[in-house]
Parts: sequence; C-alpha cells; structure tokens
Amino acid sequence: MSFDTLFSQQPYGVTEPDKTPLMVDGLKELGEFHYQNCEPYRRVIDGLWHGRAAADNLADFPYLPVSLFKTNRMVSVPEGDLRITLTSSGTTGQAVSQILVDADTSMRQQKALASSLSHVLGPKRLPMLVLDTNSVFKDPALMSARGAGVLGIMRYGRNYVFALDEQLEPDFEAVDAFLEDLDGAPFFMFGFTFVVWMQFFEKFLDRGLDLSGGTLIHSGGWKKMIEHAVDAEVFRERFREKFNLSNIYNFYGMVEQIGSIFLEAPDGLLYPPNFTDVIIRDPHTWEPVPNGEEGVIQLLSLLPGSYPGHSLLTEDMGTIVAQDPDTHGWKGKGLRILGRVPKAELRGCSDVVGAKIA
Amino acid sequence: MISEFTTQNKITADQLKDRLEAMACMAQKPFNKTRVSVAGALSSRLLKSEASRQAPQFVALGYWLRSAAIKRLRADFEARLTEGQVPTPRGLAFHLPPANVDTLFVYSWVLSYLAGNANIVRLPSDLPATTEWLLKTVIAVLEEADEQASNLFCQYDYRTDTNRTISAFTDLRLIWGGDEKVRQASGDPVRPDGLSIGFSDRKSHCIIKSDAYARLDNEERNQLAEQLYNDIFWFDQLGCGSPRTVIWVGDAKDHAQDLYKRLALHTEQKGYDVETGVVISKFAFANSKIASGTAQKGRAYSNQLSVLEAESDANILAEVHGGGMLWDVTVERLEDVLKLVDRHTQTLSHFGFEKKELMALAQAMVGKGGFRLVPVGSALSFEETWDGLPLLDQMTRRIVVRP
Repeated sequence: MSFDTLFSQQPYGVTEPDKTPLMVDGLKELGEFHYQNCEPYRRVIDGLWHGRAAADNLADFPYLPVSLFKTNRMVSVPEGDLRITLTSSGTTGQAVSQILVDADTSMRQQKALASSLSHVLGPKRLPMLVLDTNSVFKDPALMSARGAGVLGIMRYGRNYVFALDEQLEPDFEAVDAFLEDLDGAPFFMFGFTFVVWMQFFEKFLDRGLDLSGGTLIHSGGWKKMIEHAVDAEVFRERFREKFNLSNIYNFYGMVEQIGSIFLEAPDGLLYPPNFTDVIIRDPHTWEPVPNGEEGVIQLLSLLPGSYPGHSLLTEDMGTIVAQDPDTHGWKGKGLRILGRVPKAELRGCSDVVGAKIA
Repeated sequence: MISEFTTQNKITADQLKDRLEAMACMAQKPFNKTRVSVAGALSSRLLKSEASRQAPQFVALGYWLRSAAIKRLRADFEARLTEGQVPTPRGLAFHLPPANVDTLFVYSWVLSYLAGNANIVRLPSDLPATTEWLLKTVIAVLEEADEQASNLFCQYDYRTDTNRTISAFTDLRLIWGGDEKVRQASGDPVRPDGLSIGFSDRKSHCIIKSDAYARLDNEERNQLAEQLYNDIFWFDQLGCGSPRTVIWVGDAKDHAQDLYKRLALHTEQKGYDVETGVVISKFAFANSKIASGTAQKGRAYSNQLSVLEAESDANILAEVHGGGMLWDVTVERLEDVLKLVDRHTQTLSHFGFEKKELMALAQAMVGKGGFRLVPVGSALSFEETWDGLPLLDQMTRRIVVRP
C-alpha cells in the first residue's frame, strides 16, 4: 500500500518524482473507497466531476472545498465505528468543521504526526513544556482544534508542564522548576503561534530563561501576528536573541487533514510529509501553476480514511518556492503561505445589521 | 446629534425637534409645479453628466425622472382618484434607504417629494463616491429651486435616540434593507396616525418558455443573454429583483446550456469581476447543495457564472448565494412555477409568454406571493408600484367631498 511505502521512507525525504506515482495510487484507492462508502461524496463526484473519483494524474483528482465539512456531515464508515469528532476553532456564531475519525484513521494520523515530529525531535520522547494552559481540554469527545492540537502533540512528549495557568497568565514557578529538573537534557515546547508570542515570549521576556536545549514547535497562522508586526523571521530572531533558542519549527496544517503537517525547514519553507502533497491552482483557470507562481492551495493527503478529506481546496494562497532542494535532507515541495484568498462583501439590498444599521 | 449632508451642519436634539415641527407644516399639493420642475431638472442633470457615463444606474434614474415619465406618473396617479376625492400629502416622510443600492434613496425620496411631503432621508455612514456625487446633485437642484428647507438629507449614529425622535414626528416611514433592518428600525413608533412600510427580504426568478427560446436566432439569443446579465449581475445578484433561478417551462433540451454559455461569455466581455473568495464560496455552495441532494448537478461556466440543476422544490431557496450562482429548474407547465412562489417572492422576469398566459399566472399567484411579472431585462427597474404597493397612494391621503 502506498501509505506504508511512503511512510517507511525517511520523513520529508521522498523526492517529488518518487512520491507522485505512489500518491496517485493511494489517492485512487481512497477516492474509490469514499465514492463507494460516502453518499454525499458520491453525489458531489457524480454532480460536479462526471462520476470520476480517481485520476491518473495528481492534478486531475477531484477536490472538495474545506468548508464542506462545516455544512455537511461527510463520513465513509459506519457511524458506530467513529471514535472521535474533531472540530475546527471558529469565532462564536460561525460554523465549525466536523471531522469524523475512526480507529484506523486515528492511528494513521498519530503515526504520521509521530514520524513528522521525530524528524525534528529525534526518536525518543522528550520532556515537554506546553506553552498553553491545561484548561484547553474541555469535552474530549468534541474537542476544539486548540485542545486537540495540544493533546495530539502531547503524545510525543513526557513529564509535561504547562507554562500558563487557567487564566492564560504565566506560571513562572512551574517553568523554572521544569527547567531546573531537566539538568541540561534536551526538551521540547509546543504552542499556538499567537499564544506563544503574546503569553510566553512577551510575558517571560525578562525572566532570563535559557532555552538553548529546547526545540519549539508552533502553528496557527500569522494573521494575528502581522498586526503585531511579527513575521516568521522576526519570531525566530527574537527567540534566539532573548532565550538563546534556535531550534524553532513552524508548521502548516488544518483540522480537515489533521496529521499531515507541513514543517518549516531551515530554509524557512514548509514541506509536506511523504504521504501528503500540495498543488497550487490559478484562481482564474483553476489549472495548476508552475512552481514560483502564486495561487490557491490544494492539499492532498493519504491519511483521511473515515471521511473524504484526501483532496481539499483550501482558502489559502501560496506558492511553491523550491522543489526537492535536498538541503539538510528536506525533499518535496517547499511551500510559502501568502495568506487568505481575497474576499469582499457582495452588494445587495439587504442591509447587514450588526451593532448599528449602516 | 445629527449632521446635515453637504453643509456638515451639526443639529442638536433640541434644534432637531424645532426643525421637525417646522417641516411638518411644509407639505405641498401633490405634483405642484415647483416640485415637478425639480424632478425635471434633476433628470437633465443626470442624463448630461459625466458621472453617468461610469454609472448606468444614474442614466436609468435620469430616464425615469424625465418630464414625460413624470407626466405619465401623475396621470396614472390621478386616474386612480375617484370623483370627489382631493389628494393631500401625508406630511413628514422619513426614508431609511438600504446601505448598498445606490440610487434607491432617490426613488424613495422623489416619489414622496412629488406626492407633496416634507422629507428626511437618513444616509449610510460610509457613502461611496458615486452616491455622494448623486446626493450632492439632488441637493444642488433643490437649493436652486429654494426647496431645501423641506428636505433634510442627514447622517446619524443609529445607536442614539435620533431615530426615535424623528419617528415620533413621522407621518410616513419607509424602511428599506431587508427583514433585520425593518425589525430594528420599526421598534420606534411613528405618529399615532402615521404609516410605517417595511421592504423585507425578497427573492426573484426568471421564467423562460423553452419553445420560444428554441425559435430565437443567434442574435436574439445573445440579446436575451445580455438582458439577463443586467438582471443578474447589476447588484451582484443580491438585489430583491435579481433572479436566483432560471425556470424553463417545457423541455429545455440543450437550450439551457446554450443560454448559460452566452451569459457567461457576455459576463466576461462586460468585465464583471469576481474575487477568488467569492468563487470558492460559490464552489462550496454548489458542493454543499449537491452533497445534501438538494441539487443534482452543477457546472461552473466561468468564475462568474455557476449553475446548479435541481428539481422544482422550495428547498432550493432556503439559502441563497449571490455573485453569479444560478439555480436551473425545468417544469412542464407554467402553473408549476407556483411551487417556487411564496410570500418572499418579488419578481418573475419572463421571456416568451403571451399576455394572457401571464395574466393567468398572476391570477394563480393571488394570495401566495410574488408582485411583479416583467420582461427579462427589467427585473431591477424601479416602478411606482413596488412590492405590490402603489407608493404614491401610500404617500398621500384623500379628502372626500360629497356635495
């Protein structure tokens, strides 16, 4: 099976020419499986894609809009097999994605994540400093993306300590004790980019912490960070300067393809894991664009078995900056995220009524 | 505190009350000479202006206001009066136009102005440059005729008491902008003998007789596509009169695709721009409707135009999506159109039907909903009778004389 073949390789270590045929085989299998087992998916394929759930070229596979998981219940296994429902974090009142996961898919997601993380953390579980509060876990059956994210990553650490208290305020004592106990041993940290910056970096700034033995992994997007004039480079630079921390890895991923994380390589680009690929599409023709050009990001992953999320059109813009550069062993497509697709409000004669009537 | 347009004069709450009291006595006879000539002057200014070249909606407004049209409006109005009736204005009219439809405030205001009322028009806080130009033109024409005192164009914050204060003096209030806006704005009472009219959310469709389309030649088909383009895309398909659905009456065969291809082509030629976010959102809408089984098939003819095929079923109207998202439905007979007609329906724009068929359809619509049957191409054209209400009649009262 393609997933196993790809999975057995060095993480982030398969070149595009080697990866493509295996991805095509795996996606064919998944496409046909979902077509047979998920009625809403079959309707979409019949109604919009002439009934063809599979293709011979990577670029020819049908794709679903990510927001479909907000509006429709998409599931390809018997309801009784479902183990967990993952939801996206949304602002109040907005619809959230519902990702329905069974034991097999959950297992694959975990294996995938472990493989990606071990690439930067090494094979052994390390002591972990969670740059968040333990109150992010609410109802385990219906977890927020943040809670699920933290919990998902926590599997790969041990001796956890939370850097923030219930009110998201710094817990200086806990962090000091954590670092003391380490006695110089390597450790890792995880948090959401915005929380890491606002609640950890800013609040611990004057504590004189030495984090040189640590590795920081963070995710969650740069949208809010831009308002604080912080981009990936400033982020890295400031952490190096203030905390002597240089092992920092951002990642890009979404709950709809949880487990497939695009990790930031030393060149600053985001690389898909072996069983995941990315296509950039021209927003006018929807054809794939050559590397170097900007467009809408389509994500392909071999992980989603219990729901048809193997080929998704995102609402993010991006560009492939490098392919198989093989610097420090990173292979595949090097992606740069350029933000959300532009969307202005449509005119009309119904007023939007909010705090005031326009 | 409110600010008067153009002068930016600030009017305090006390001054506002004085002004409102004064305005209540400024009503005139319907269609008095000065007011008719103000409408005419505005018409010529709009038709001659440079700005109208960029804004076809200004040309439409100028055309609507030309002297001959006002004369006909007046004749129709007077023909509705019976012997021994003298029309008189209601008094002070208060207009709350929608935020986004840039010429509507003029239609609402000018009808009431011609009916003889004094008028207060509340404008949205952010005015696009074209709307601001239009407003300045209206005010300039009023000032030249020394008519500005009885017409106040203003802006104010909705969270203050201003709306309540004005409403208390109001004889006639016209609230445009959909259900939510009407609900919020009508919370403040008008005078005990006043009238408040809400223009709620409406949906519209286009009906085409398949046989009639089949008989059109190439040129005629392109013309129809062009008219349909105006109806659909002028207000990003979100106007109350913008068609959501094309309903083919009789087997449409390949004609539906033929028309949509022409429509897509015309839309592209017109340079109608659609943002990537809207294209993805239409794609998501199509996916969702097909996944749930509400629609059977979908096709994006271009980034501008997506079409969803469905059975004739009221479910298809539960949610709507503007910006070129069309439902395509085929029915056997004209009366099957009624399945898509309810109290939220406004306009059925039609092509290929005879007058007697349309009259029969209107008869069948009685008590169900739907207020206009107009030819394709005029779905968005404003008329004195709007949402089924003859507005001049709403804007006036009658003095009954029995000798």
